[in-house]
Amino acid sequence: MSIGTEPGIGYGTEKPLVLKKSMPPIMKGIIWGGVGFLLANGIVSLLLDPQPGHPFITEPSVTVGWVVLMIGWVLGVGAWEGAVKPAFGRTSNWVAAVGWRRFFEYSTDHKVIGIQYLVSSAGGFFIAGLAAMMMRLQLMSDRMWLFPYPGQYLTTVGIHGTIMMFSVGTVALVGGLGNYLIPMMIGSNSSAFPRMSGISVWLVPLGIFTVAFSPLLGYWTTGWRGYEPLAQQDPSGILFYYLGVFALTLSSLLVALNLTATIVFKRAPGLTWKRLPMFAWGIITVSLLNIIWLPEIEITFLLGILSRIVPFPFFTATGSPLTYLELFWLFGHPEVYIVVVPALALWQEILPVMTRKSLFAREFGVIGLIFVMMLSGLVWAHHMFTNMRNSEILPFSFFTEMISIPTAFSYLVAIGTIWRGKFRINAPSLLILMSMFNFMIGGMTGVFLADPVINLQVHDTFFVVGHFHYTIIGGMVFSWIAAMYYWLPKFSGRMYNEKAGIIGAIWIFIAFNMTFGQFFLLGLHGMNRWVPVYPSYLQPMNFETSIFAFLLGLGFLFHLIHIWWAMKAGPKTEKNPWKSKTLEWMSSRNLAQPNFNELPEVVGNFYAYENDEPVAVIPGEGGVEIV
Amino acid sequence: MPDFLLFFILWVVFSALGEWAVNIWGSHVYYFIASTQAVDGVNATDFILRVLIPLFVFVMLMLIFAMTKFRRKEGDTSSSAHQFKTNKVYITTWITITVIVNFMFLLHPTASATEAMFNQYLPQNNKNVLIVDVVARQWQWYFNYPQYGVQNTVDTNGNAFLELPVNRKVEFVLRSYDPNHTYDTQVDVIHSFWIPAFGMKEDIIPGETRTMYITPTVMTNTTSNPMLRVQCAEVCGPGHPYMEANASVVSSNSFNQWIAQQKKNQNS
Repeated sequence: MSIGTEPGIGYGTEKPLVLKKSMPPIMKGIIWGGVGFLLANGIVSLLLDPQPGHPFITEPSVTVGWVVLMIGWVLGVGAWEGAVKPAFGRTSNWVAAVGWRRFFEYSTDHKVIGIQYLVSSAGGFFIAGLAAMMMRLQLMSDRMWLFPYPGQYLTTVGIHGTIMMFSVGTVALVGGLGNYLIPMMIGSNSSAFPRMSGISVWLVPLGIFTVAFSPLLGYWTTGWRGYEPLAQQDPSGILFYYLGVFALTLSSLLVALNLTATIVFKRAPGLTWKRLPMFAWGIITVSLLNIIWLPEIEITFLLGILSRIVPFPFFTATGSPLTYLELFWLFGHPEVYIVVVPALALWQEILPVMTRKSLFAREFGVIGLIFVMMLSGLVWAHHMFTNMRNSEILPFSFFTEMISIPTAFSYLVAIGTIWRGKFRINAPSLLILMSMFNFMIGGMTGVFLADPVINLQVHDTFFVVGHFHYTIIGGMVFSWIAAMYYWLPKFSGRMYNEKAGIIGAIWIFIAFNMTFGQFFLLGLHGMNRWVPVYPSYLQPMNFETSIFAFLLGLGFLFHLIHIWWAMKAGPKTEKNPWKSKTLEWMSSRNLAQPNFNELPEVVGNFYAYENDEPVAVIPGEGGVEIV
Repeated sequence: MPDFLLFFILWVVFSALGEWAVNIWGSHVYYFIASTQAVDGVNATDFILRVLIPLFVFVMLMLIFAMTKFRRKEGDTSSSAHQFKTNKVYITTWITITVIVNFMFLLHPTASATEAMFNQYLPQNNKNVLIVDVVARQWQWYFNYPQYGVQNTVDTNGNAFLELPVNRKVEFVLRSYDPNHTYDTQVDVIHSFWIPAFGMKEDIIPGETRTMYITPTVMTNTTSNPMLRVQCAEVCGPGHPYMEANASVVSSNSFNQWIAQQKKNQNS
């Protein structure tokens, strides 16, 4: 298949549009989705299932309406013209836009999709971050003052956790960096299923908005878990939790299918599994985790929706109240490895480049990622020591302790690589070290939590909240920012300001540790979770924790502005400023061009620094280009 | 000095400093404890901390070495002279230590302390046990003392109140239902019974009866130490933050007087 000839596939020609679009695709998506919602909702609430008093919005109608809205939205934003019509052999009028407009419509270019995912994720990060700031503001006092009603605080907790987990934690490194980098890193010009990928990204903003606007249907109090049976008696906002998370997890599932197929089938000649880049290993293991566990949680959410709108007593005392928790954590613990596995892979990707030293014990890095993936489904019930059968406590405690062995392989590899290297201190390398520090604390506090008698005390307290923020912000978000600086020259051809990057890194490092380090102490001192009011003896420490939390929020904002500025106006830089050996640095970042005019052939090890022998060769263009 | 020797010396020094700190603070990590069960938790925390300190120092030192000893000089673009891709001794030692440490944790404190906890359930260990029926509903606690025929104990303000005699083992029988709607006892959600000073919590599941054993060891009360309070720890709706009850641990004489007073109130 040649690129750019088939409708919907390939790269926007840098020519004026031949066929003018009747309206911007986003507008079309909103109209199709909105009209679809009104029609479907009206049919259900007025004709099929009218309820006493004839309300226009009922729980069944809004659910059906939302599903039609989702379909109308992705079709309108470009899937109808770009994917559906060609799939049925119809002629399509779709012409991919050029310039900035290409980011605001359906696209099949993995670079555009990667950036769409990254921007959506960053949007979700700051929306959910704002929710976190409101929580910390409320917690500065031990009495209600910011929110007039506790349900509003608990909804804020739920929105914060849900958007952070499902649109940032699972998405930024996989849908974002994975979509952008993986085809380049494995020497391909596209991902395996570009149309599916072009559609899936539009589920992310929909999911974020659905969750963020869930209070329209009423406050829900369950937190990011949608806990049953509490969810059964919550106001209807819980429906938008289930539906929004359904959209977000569906998006991640499609990404996982696409990137797995890409890595399996689209590798360049000579790119054997033994030579596969570490980040690609991270992405394929995390994608397998997604493929195994996301369908499971989507079915669970479906059961949750059905038990409300039918209704079924699946999860009440006449049904089985613990089943939801078990189904949730069966997914929920693999989920945290979904978040952190690509971050661990990033350490191993960036450290050899910054130390100019061959990657140490590569096979253990790979084995570590694979075993974390395989063990992650065996540890989940440590979230339930307080309510499970006592006889099940020890086996889950055992597996939870054992998973630290493969996780520690990431440290084994990183430390072996650092030892006697020539460590270049800059924003990405510093952030990777900080990520290692934070994740170490997160992992070690996990050892305490794996121990049943300690768990029974600190479970459901701020100790646990501190623990998982250390793994997720400390491990994943720090690595994400490191990756943004590291690949900034790739994304934009420009360089960030080193001083600003390092100051920003130190800023968030201090603010982060001062915030979440104190969470451990608060938890040990008796601060339980999900409370906007609490005993007054905990107020002074909460007050100062909040101040550091605000500084942390400002620090993230600083990085966002700095990265934005660097991409737009930073000093121009050479193509491969870090002298990295991986393939993405050989490819074109120009959105109008394919990654490689001729596919490269891999002939060596990407992470070997003992000599300057070429790692890959690109035929054509009057000779051989050597990296 | 060779890198590894310097590293080794620093590792020993900082690990020793860390152990010294754990020696001072390790037994206070729970801030305040008032039961034998909480002592098990503190001992487990203390033990794990002692083992983890040298491992933590090892990784932290390496991060510091990266930024100091192995830092690249300004303008140096060459690759490191030390290009090794594996080291059998290092990898074998690493894996051996992580496996041994994990299995050790599994045996102690995990299995040993869990066994001690499970032993609480044995009938021979529950001869003189005080039974307290705890009922949780949204968003309220009820405490009943079936051995004394006392129901729904309250303080002078009429709020639910839990009073326990010191050094006598208590069996909390935990249920979640609404006692005010006897035709629909199935309605309610998951709560969690937690008294921070006792070092333990247990979820309360609608439709299930669960138990938790505690032996209070310190006489105190919520007013003088708020870590001794009954707190719902599992989110249970908008009233969750208010689902607290005051408690006190008193001498067995005072406890008997209090029970008599509660009985009198009930019969009046």
